[in-house]
Amino acid sequence: MITGTAITKTFKQRGNVLGKREVPALRGVDFAIKKGGAVSFIGESGCGKTTLGRIIAGLETYDSGEIVIDDVAMSGLSHRHRQPYFRRIQLIHQDPYSALNPTRTIHQTLEAPLRLRARQTGRPRSWVDARAEELLSLVGIDPGYVLPRYPHQLSGGMRQRVVIARALTMDPEVLVADEAVSMIDVSLRLGILGLLRDLRERLGVSVLFITHDIATARYIGDEGELYVIYRGQVVERGSTETIIADPVHPYTQSLLSAIPVLHGLERPGAEQVVPTEALDEAQADEGCLFTRRCPFSTARCEAERPVLGHDGGEGGEDTEQLHACFHPRSRSVIPQGVRA
Amino acid sequence: MTVTVMPDMATGTTRATLRRNFWRGVWRVLLRKPSRMAGVIIVLGFAVMGVIGPLLYPANLPRDDNALYAPPSLQHLFGTDFEGTDVLALVVTGARYVLLTGLATAVITVALGTVIGLFAGFRRGRWDSALMRLTDLNLAIPGLPLLLVLSTVWKFTSPLEMGLVLGLLGWGGVARAVRSQTLSLRERGFIEAARGLGLPTRHIIGRELLPSMAPYIAMNMLIAVTGAVYAQVGLFFLGVLPFDANNWGVMLNLAVFSGGALTTPAALPYLLAPLLAILLLTLGIVLIVDAMDEIFNPRLREE
Amino acid sequence: MSRDSAAPEVRIRDLTVVYNTPAGELPAVSHVSLTLTPGTITGVVGESGSGKSTLALSLLNAVQPPGRIAEGSVEIDGLGDVLRLDGEDLRRTRGRKVGYVFQAAQNSLNPLKTIGKQLLDLGRSHDVEDLRALVADAKALLSRMGLDGARVLDSHQHELSGGMRQRVGIMLALVLNAQVVVLDEPTTALDMITQATILRIIREVHEERALTTLVITHDVGAVAEVADDLAVMYGGRVVEHGPIAEVLGAPRHPYTQGLIRAIPRLSGDISLARALPGRPPTLGTLPAAGCVFRERCEKRMEICETVEPATATYDGRSVACHAAGRPAPVKRREYA
Repeated sequence: MITGTAITKTFKQRGNVLGKREVPALRGVDFAIKKGGAVSFIGESGCGKTTLGRIIAGLETYDSGEIVIDDVAMSGLSHRHRQPYFRRIQLIHQDPYSALNPTRTIHQTLEAPLRLRARQTGRPRSWVDARAEELLSLVGIDPGYVLPRYPHQLSGGMRQRVVIARALTMDPEVLVADEAVSMIDVSLRLGILGLLRDLRERLGVSVLFITHDIATARYIGDEGELYVIYRGQVVERGSTETIIADPVHPYTQSLLSAIPVLHGLERPGAEQVVPTEALDEAQADEGCLFTRRCPFSTARCEAERPVLGHDGGEGGEDTEQLHACFHPRSRSVIPQGVRA
Repeated sequence: MTVTVMPDMATGTTRATLRRNFWRGVWRVLLRKPSRMAGVIIVLGFAVMGVIGPLLYPANLPRDDNALYAPPSLQHLFGTDFEGTDVLALVVTGARYVLLTGLATAVITVALGTVIGLFAGFRRGRWDSALMRLTDLNLAIPGLPLLLVLSTVWKFTSPLEMGLVLGLLGWGGVARAVRSQTLSLRERGFIEAARGLGLPTRHIIGRELLPSMAPYIAMNMLIAVTGAVYAQVGLFFLGVLPFDANNWGVMLNLAVFSGGALTTPAALPYLLAPLLAILLLTLGIVLIVDAMDEIFNPRLREE
Repeated sequence: MSRDSAAPEVRIRDLTVVYNTPAGELPAVSHVSLTLTPGTITGVVGESGSGKSTLALSLLNAVQPPGRIAEGSVEIDGLGDVLRLDGEDLRRTRGRKVGYVFQAAQNSLNPLKTIGKQLLDLGRSHDVEDLRALVADAKALLSRMGLDGARVLDSHQHELSGGMRQRVGIMLALVLNAQVVVLDEPTTALDMITQATILRIIREVHEERALTTLVITHDVGAVAEVADDLAVMYGGRVVEHGPIAEVLGAPRHPYTQGLIRAIPRLSGDISLARALPGRPPTLGTLPAAGCVFRERCEKRMEICETVEPATATYDGRSVACHAAGRPAPVKRREYA
């Protein structure tokens, strides 16, 4: 179990002589990843979802807030003592082409972390090779074929499976999959998503899935939780199925409305929300972060910032579903299948 | 798609197999272009010349007072010098000093530059600033004037001494380049993954970063050899270093300033022979440099 | 802006493009015939190695070595066979008649020059006499796409977001009044909302200017929104081509069926969705004889090993599959 409370992070951009420009990447985010659970972070590029994923994987620092891993607060530990905790959280990179060292065979790539693991757990050296084969079989590729090869000899899908196998060498509790299928051929994406679902079921690994494509979040298994992130704030949170079927925040609705409709198979949702486009970078920091683009914005939205929580409005009955909006209303935005 | 297992790859993944595959790959890469083989042959030729060349001739090369500045003939392929010594013999026996200097310089340049550049780029922060200031200092040293001054007190009788000085003067460029390569490589997914897995820094630098930079380092090393050859030949040519008849630089000096090779044709072979040797050596190295990318990149090597 | 004629028709006939590899010349595009109906948007969908980008480049006769157009023709109304043009004629054609919008992800704009300078360069290289009018046209086009024209023309590439760059790309492709427009992966690397906006713009501009448009993409969703016709490519062949609602709603080719089944969707039964077995072919792994898809095909028959299926027409669409004659379309209720 991993929880985070009020995580903030601000990037300082190189500015002029007068000072640096500060760009808030995360504005007080809470999260919880249950053992064996599936949490998805959804949002546009630059919304902070990748930064949050990297913070959770221990690859990035945060300015304030607290991360608790298995009841141990990370803020109380030195950098050195945090490492064993963060090692249980492994990141799977978006790009399977740069995630593997082109000068090393798959065998070499898996051997190094497995040796380390063998030393940590007091296993004999002979365990390493057997484990490498076991892990590759687990991720669905033929060890005999893959082990002696270099990354360039494998397809994108196979590479991503190797990357997942490498992450599994550390017996992680959480896999952080950052856009893990966006660079994979369309016909193979479901294979990788299915593998993540499989690992949850078979190994009890939790999956933190970071993506801009909401539809893929459905495919990593049941009981998924969805966090919709906009400009560093979680604006809606709840079970994946509920939020997709019944979104109440206008930003979530915009994201869902933007998903293309497969004509002939689907017809568009009845109440699509088209946001004003954010072509202007200098956006207001007062009030609701989405107000400038929101078609339903009111005077209150411009003056006050809503916080994530329950609201008396529609959609509030599901206690699991939280949102940060003064005017939540459920709208039918997603494409519906055409009945044959 | 059917899976075809290549027999030679499936047999094993041991270090020995990998090494064998590597050298087989190197051979394939070299065979790909005739120019590369030519480069290898030239450089090997010089290496042989440097190792056994001096053994082929007596310690004191015979003089022939009757044939000063003799024109090329079957007996003296490149003619003779001012005291009637065979020019070819001078070039061959002089190769060892030149090559050893080049090698020593290259090793020192690349070793220092790589270590400093890698460390600065990987650690970043304070170490980086400190090491890069040191590098700037190194780059700012005016090499030639310093060497001229040094040569008045130090005679450089051993090629290794020469190589040491040239190497210590020349590592700055390599360090800067290696640092920038490291900086960009450390952002790559596989380096980050290695850190996330908790692999030791030793492993990350030695096994992940270094091999990715191998072509680059190898190229720098080869080019450092040519640089060192030019530098020391230049020093001897200027005459600031002690006289030694079978040194390529001294030969050039004598041919130009005593033999008048630029005005009379008699000493021309005496001038051309060492020049040709330098040119050939450079050419050989440049031809090999072309193969480095393919040798160290498994994708290009196996294709 | 004046347009003297209606949208042209584009007829690709028997196009074969080969790449020179160590293993000899291998076809990236093999005997492709495709007609772009005037005034329609045709989407070309394919995975890596399908030859879709090579096909797009052929439309401008811009295949670079080691690639080579081996045979076939690309006829555009009012232009003739593009593949026979060369030198100056060919250069003029690109931009004037055929506009090309490069991948959004690529930095196809010069980072050192402002957009305005690049526009003027484009105008001069095509001997546009009235550069003022050109700039006015460009501004009009940009504001049509929701941008501040004057500001964008004064900007450098790095000052623009991905969506803005893509609009600039569309502007540069259209400003010389090209009537055939090719868009290569127009929405790759763009966010969902930006993607939706760009797709809407493509559709609207297409209609306003009476264009014949070709959209190349790996993402069925990206064309499903805008295209009238859909061509599915696999292994250098067009395996299915027809009106989009038909191709998506009742696919005939096993690859199209598998591809549609493999798309992550917002609604419908998750358990019925599955990835295609095997992996996309590369130039080197394409079988020399028989059907290129057979290794991943669930309807493989004996004949597929030896005979390449010919393209046949079934209710208004062309399919290249031996098994297409038998009615076994994807079950629609999977998505209901």
